[in-house]
Amino acid sequence: MPYWYYDKKDLQNTPSFRDGISTETENRYRKEGARFIIDTGSKMDLGYNTVATGVVYFHRFYMFHSFRTFPRYITACCCLFLAGKVEETPKKCKDIIKVAKSLLTEQKFATFGEDPKEEVMTLERILLQTIKFDLQVEHPYGYLLKYAKCLKGDKTKLQKMVQMAWTFVNDSLCTTLCLQWEPEVIAVALMFLAGKLSKFEVVDWNGRLPKHSAWWDMFVEDITMELLEDICHQVLDLYSPQTQPSGGDSPPLSAPPKTPKNDKKPHSATPPASVSPVAPVATKPAVTPIKNGEPPPKLEPPKAALGPAPGAEPPRYGYPPYTSIPPPYVYGAPPPALPPRLPLLYTEPPPAVAAGPRPRYPPPPPAPPAVVSVPPPYFPPLPAPPPRPYYPPP
Amino acid sequence: MQSVSAPRESAPPVISTSSTILNMREKEKYIEEFDFPFCDESSKYEKVAKIGQGTFGEVFKARARNSNKKFVAMKKVLMDNEKEGFPITALREIKILQLLKHENVVNLIEICRTKATLHNKYRSTFYLVFDFCEHDLAGLLSNVNVKFSLGEIKKVMQQLLNGLYYIHSNKILHRDMKAANVLITKNGILKLADFGLARAFSVAKSGQANKYTNRVVTLWYRPPELLLGDRNYGPPVDMWGAGCIMAEMWTRSPIMQGPTEQQQLILISQLCGSCTPDVWPGVENLELYNKMELPKGQKRKVKERLKHYVKDPYGCDLLDKLLQLDPAKRFDADTALNHDFFWTDPMPCELANMLAQHTQSMFEYLAPPRRPGHLRHHHHVAGAQPKPTQAVQDSGYQDRVF
Repeated sequence: MPYWYYDKKDLQNTPSFRDGISTETENRYRKEGARFIIDTGSKMDLGYNTVATGVVYFHRFYMFHSFRTFPRYITACCCLFLAGKVEETPKKCKDIIKVAKSLLTEQKFATFGEDPKEEVMTLERILLQTIKFDLQVEHPYGYLLKYAKCLKGDKTKLQKMVQMAWTFVNDSLCTTLCLQWEPEVIAVALMFLAGKLSKFEVVDWNGRLPKHSAWWDMFVEDITMELLEDICHQVLDLYSPQTQPSGGDSPPLSAPPKTPKNDKKPHSATPPASVSPVAPVATKPAVTPIKNGEPPPKLEPPKAALGPAPGAEPPRYGYPPYTSIPPPYVYGAPPPALPPRLPLLYTEPPPAVAAGPRPRYPPPPPAPPAVVSVPPPYFPPLPAPPPRPYYPPP
Repeated sequence: MQSVSAPRESAPPVISTSSTILNMREKEKYIEEFDFPFCDESSKYEKVAKIGQGTFGEVFKARARNSNKKFVAMKKVLMDNEKEGFPITALREIKILQLLKHENVVNLIEICRTKATLHNKYRSTFYLVFDFCEHDLAGLLSNVNVKFSLGEIKKVMQQLLNGLYYIHSNKILHRDMKAANVLITKNGILKLADFGLARAFSVAKSGQANKYTNRVVTLWYRPPELLLGDRNYGPPVDMWGAGCIMAEMWTRSPIMQGPTEQQQLILISQLCGSCTPDVWPGVENLELYNKMELPKGQKRKVKERLKHYVKDPYGCDLLDKLLQLDPAKRFDADTALNHDFFWTDPMPCELANMLAQHTQSMFEYLAPPRRPGHLRHHHHVAGAQPKPTQAVQDSGYQDRVF
């Protein structure tokens, strides 16, 4: 199986980087691509799992190909198209393209070529080969809910904390965290962050053992404070305006000659030295440097006002309006005012397990030719079959 | 393709033909030459013969061109009529096969591709590559020279139930149990195959019934709850198939060969008794209970009719438990494996010695019809066009096991 986790060095030396695209620009492309998948998915009523799976495919894809070879928005559409099928929430290719067209400028949509649908079809095969048909992807959401169930404390505060952590998980899709850490680790880190910001201190939890010094020791071994802070910083950097480098919507014009690169050794990236889910971070990671003299940040327009308008349908995929989030580098900072846009029942078991209707997203209409008409759950982990009792003959 | 946008930053969004063509060519060259590290070319295998027709494509026997010359089965992913790209059914099968790793489940080695060239419009064809199994159970049963002892039948059923126990524990329904989908290696290891109709299932919560399609399972192996329109079914659908296959170990041909769904239900009632709320509480709530003709006053004759074939009383009893009309009363794989059938003399015994006497590969696809007039391919989905009968002579292939 391919190993889908990379260390920081590998994340710098990507096909795009070798193709003359700066790390800052690549990170912006990744962020824009991910955000576009989130927006397109939300507009099509796709659930968070489908959206997140599409984004993970997207990030993995660009560990093998350059943004110069494959423009980001059409790849994003293709990832969402495939994720829809894999997560049993299929959407027609032409409908995805229609929504994409409505969200993109004419100029950006022009990168889809003359026959967008055909382009996506061709791209899908390239995507499948690139990700080694490794279709099933796990996300932090399920772990987030599982962990939250074990924490003791004020119910309202806990709920607020989980709500905020959920939002951070959504936003973490715009970073390369899914290429660095397992979903369990990301879930722990972003709950840690949300706990700090919402002033919810976890003092006790179910299943606590004397050897546990923090609640997450119960779920992930040897997680360091350094690692937690590194992950939190990567998400918080999203809200800091300085990380938006200047540049056009496409690779710089002063790019090297556009001879397609015959990338015979695309897998130059090596896995991290440790395959442990919580490899300690040796050095303080270089977060995206803050550049002075950059033009004012191009902020995303707030997708949702603070709280839905009366009578308006609440957004299906919650994430905080960027403008409302202060860049809280001090963990003790007051929590940002996050409207509860994801009415999850935290006391309920995680929604992903059941094949019944999800709490929030209506199940898709049964597709006539499809064998399956209900979004299935994640595949459960493989239980080892218990030893079979031997019943002696009577 | 990417470079298309560069000139366009200053130009109006009109396709500039010359640059587009050039860029298209560049992209095509890139696609053609990219060496996907995780997806080998199918040319690493050499096709030997066509050995079957799966749910979504042809199956070939092939041999590795490298030094080990290992045999594999390659299942082509049919994409010709796909408006929505890579078929969702194939994606499901791949997902499930990647999840399931067990001695009694067919092993997916890798997925291969053909090179993308101008010739195929830069679109690869994909093959699922499996460990090769020499026989399928339908092929073996259709050969009168293959004789199973009682111990060998027990071994077949024990492995089949072990496979089902494993997949059901992993919350997967096979949904296409039939003798042709049960593969057996020359060493006598049984493998459940063809997960083209399989799906993940969950236990329905109260008030939230599952809504699965009931248009699954080859008609002759389809359980009564599916024929009556149940959409909230579970592992018992596979257990019914296991019962049909078990009986077939002695009868050598499928025990209930209904030409239509209605006829199949009648055949089931004639063998297992009438479908009444008495023996099957809740049957009256199934969607088609009032729409299908259900024979009344039929007595259950499972043991009575099968005892002439299945002389072993434990075998008869297990069959009776697997062919229960009420899915709730039907044995699950675990209970079946604990049945005395498997724990009384003669104990299950290895198949390798018996199979060693047969040097020809036996697949249903290659075998002559089991009885004249039989349809080789019976449709999976009611109402679908039955595939034309595939004659043996179109292959003319005689495969050797050794």
